[in-house]
Amino acid sequence: MLKSEKKSLIRFLLIYLLSTFLLFALAGIMFYSYETEHILDKQKDKLSHQAQKIKTQIRALHNTFDKALVYPASDVPESAIYDSDKNYIMGTYKQLKVLDEDKLEIQGNRLFYISKVEPYYLGAAYLLVTKEIDDTLLWELQKSIYLFMLIAGIFFLILGIFLGRLFIAPMRSSMEKMNRFIEDTTHELNTPIGTILANIEILESSDKYGASKELNRIEIASKTLSRIYDDLTYLTFNHKYNRCIEHLNVSDILEERIAYFASMSDIKQIKFDVNIEPSMYLDIDNNDLLRVIDNLISNAIKYNKLGGTIEVRLTNRSLLVRDTGIGISKTDIEVISQRFKRANDSEGGFGLGLDIINQIVMYYTYVLEINSTLKEGTTMEIRWKR
Amino acid sequence: MEKIIFVCLFVLTKLISSEIDVSNSTILQNKCLSCHKSGQIPDELIYRRYLMVYSTHERMENAIFMYMKNPDKKNSVMHHPFFFKFPMKNKSDLDDVTLHQMINAYLVKFDIKNKFTDIDK
Repeated sequence: MLKSEKKSLIRFLLIYLLSTFLLFALAGIMFYSYETEHILDKQKDKLSHQAQKIKTQIRALHNTFDKALVYPASDVPESAIYDSDKNYIMGTYKQLKVLDEDKLEIQGNRLFYISKVEPYYLGAAYLLVTKEIDDTLLWELQKSIYLFMLIAGIFFLILGIFLGRLFIAPMRSSMEKMNRFIEDTTHELNTPIGTILANIEILESSDKYGASKELNRIEIASKTLSRIYDDLTYLTFNHKYNRCIEHLNVSDILEERIAYFASMSDIKQIKFDVNIEPSMYLDIDNNDLLRVIDNLISNAIKYNKLGGTIEVRLTNRSLLVRDTGIGISKTDIEVISQRFKRANDSEGGFGLGLDIINQIVMYYTYVLEINSTLKEGTTMEIRWKR
Repeated sequence: MEKIIFVCLFVLTKLISSEIDVSNSTILQNKCLSCHKSGQIPDELIYRRYLMVYSTHERMENAIFMYMKNPDKKNSVMHHPFFFKFPMKNKSDLDDVTLHQMINAYLVKFDIKNKFTDIDK
């Protein structure tokens, strides 16, 4: 699966699962509150029924003239009777309670039912009946809701993955077609570019065309074409490419590449200010090093002004390329290293260069730093650990 | 020293108070209940009737006082047939303070709270 494809699928799944979760959570909360109300109503009805039973017992007790009276006590529910001034008379529930007539209420984890007693049997004007709320049913309900949410979550996750794959299938097909096209084109370009460059070298060595302007222009165009071909090859076959890490003399290679780009820089009358520390070695793949150097220099030429300067500095800590060109805005710096992004559309190119540099820098855990001021120039520095 | 005085005063107060209770109880027995007994008037039934109608000690005391001062069927909470069996009593000749003390002693004697066995036991 391609990186962009994976990213799209993850985004889709996140939105899809989050919205599904919110919907189910809302439904779960509504269902839970409705069921809780129902469970409490049932317990309240039971309590009210038990209060009626106690009232009947109090009435019977009132008409008993035995020496000792036994209050109808039970552990569940607890109860107490109060006179018409709301003073405690007798009961099993001895805590203070503000009495509101004929009311069912919940305080903490207890359920209270207060009812009037008429006439005042045993002097009782109010009967308070109370018991702890039986939360076993509530726990059962919560467990069922969580279980349902879990099963629904798994089901919708599987469904989401299936739907996501279905939705990105056309995109996947288009990208595969595009990649195949680039691969085929790149492959077909290899031979003609090689032929052109070889023949230019032959012509340059002959006396007849050696120093002609036309040949120089053809050489520059061919080198540009060759570089684009190299970039495309690098990006297209990057995942199939096995790097060969060597101990390379970066100083020599950098000087060679500056010479290679001389014909291009001459056209724009750009001067090189080169400061290369001799015999600077790095453990790097040769192609990776060429891609980094070529892209840094070609960008510096491409976006430089006529008669500008390119400063190239190589130390044992970093490689720096500074141009005096159009510069890049701060907002563009953040997106410029993405593939097919260009800071300025007035110049040609595919916007591949910085993407390649970025990929190589990340692979070797180097650091790429871009500093730029609009209309003044850009500095690109790659730092490596020593 | 202060503690001893305090304890002595407390014991003395308790003794006086229990003396008064005993004295009120004796007067109640002599002035009221002895007559009730001879007339077979059901004291506890009357108490329960007043308790059922008035609920609190103060309200019962006031209601009984009103009846004693002006014995009439309208001022009594007892059912009308009760008076067929038991004659209407005469107006009390006790002074108000003594009458209140007697009624109070009567209500304490039959207080429903004292008849309940302790639930915790």
